[in-house]
Amino acid sequence: MASPVAPRTEGVRRRAVALAAGFAVPLAISLALGFPRAGGRPAAYVATLAASWLGVGLAATWAGVSRGRSMLGRRAAWRLLVAALTPAALFATALAAALAWPSTRDDEAGALAHVVCVAVGMICALGPLAAFAAVRRSSDPVAPRLTGAALGAASGAWGALFIELHCVHTSVGHIVLGHVLPVVLLTLVGVLIGDRVVAIRPVRAAS
Amino acid sequence: MHVAAQAPGFYVLRAPPVPSPVVVPVRHGTSVGVPPRAEADVAMERYARGDDASFGMVYDALAPRLYGYLLRQTRQRARADDLLQQTMLHIHRARSTFIPGADVAPWAFAIARRLLVDSLRRGSREVLSDDGEVDAGPDRGPMADEVAQARELAIRVERVLAKLPQSQRTAFELIKNEGLSVAEAAEVLGTTVAAVKLRAHRAYEALRGALGDVLDGMEGRKS
Repeated sequence: MASPVAPRTEGVRRRAVALAAGFAVPLAISLALGFPRAGGRPAAYVATLAASWLGVGLAATWAGVSRGRSMLGRRAAWRLLVAALTPAALFATALAAALAWPSTRDDEAGALAHVVCVAVGMICALGPLAAFAAVRRSSDPVAPRLTGAALGAASGAWGALFIELHCVHTSVGHIVLGHVLPVVLLTLVGVLIGDRVVAIRPVRAAS
Repeated sequence: MHVAAQAPGFYVLRAPPVPSPVVVPVRHGTSVGVPPRAEADVAMERYARGDDASFGMVYDALAPRLYGYLLRQTRQRARADDLLQQTMLHIHRARSTFIPGADVAPWAFAIARRLLVDSLRRGSREVLSDDGEVDAGPDRGPMADEVAQARELAIRVERVLAKLPQSQRTAFELIKNEGLSVAEAAEVLGTTVAAVKLRAHRAYEALRGALGDVLDGMEGRKS
């Protein structure tokens, strides 16, 4: 006897809705802040950095969130690399862009700008993080904390991308403190989420 | 299939028969060049597509192996029953996320192992309502000498394994008792193939050291 809607079809639909809802959060915030702007930054610098960080976000999502062809997910080493290398990759590309456009290094940002970017970046990342957590809920019986860390890093990369589109500051110090630091914080938040959401927990059948 | 009662979308599971000590997974294939897939994988794929009847096949293919593993680890039928039911319930609940082409056995063993570890951590606070007896294995009939020898050997193996570090014992049991491949065992344990090979090898060496006289005797009888 077949179910009216195949569980897998229903699962795909649920996951698609979760991802769409999750990414609607940063998009809505982005639109509320106005369309992406270069400010005083070179347009090519903004485009290069945005494209690089989009690539980092996609790669982190592919390697850290999707499970590949195994029900137990990709190898632990991949998830560890995602958690460790995502902030490093964001920093490296920002550094390379600063070297390519020396004028961007003259910018100075105050502590308030750092705090605002950390806050907005983390808020932008919360939607993707919630979506990734929903997608990977109760799915990892082996290393849920590591998976959670990878989810946090991947969502942090998306948050960093959205904030990068709006923030006019270009100094490397600000990029590290305002844009990359939230990725590290979200990776730590991901560890907690992994333990509580991604892990397998005993269930009791309804009597 | 060992389903005692069935309600819409819910199964009450009963312990399956205790499996033989070494279970070799049944695999079949039809086309040359196409890797054969285990029955459980094919059945799970159908179950994920909405064929509810396939759950019986999934259960029949997995439950005896899982129950044997859980029973060997817990040595308590009630706890093994409970953990088996929980494992199958997790598989049922996660059927919508099943990836086409994925292997179901490593996933099922990983779930069972996680639930087992959690259960052992809570163990001191739990009171089991059922018996706590150690399983003595299946009764295979009146071949008295062979059965007695096999049981004696099994007890000695158990004693040696019990002295090994948990990581070595689990790796050895997943490969030798549950019939998982080294790669599958590595997935279940969340480590590398090389690490599992090393752990299983060390366990095997420990067994060889402790049971050398028996093994020599067996080889002597063969020659």
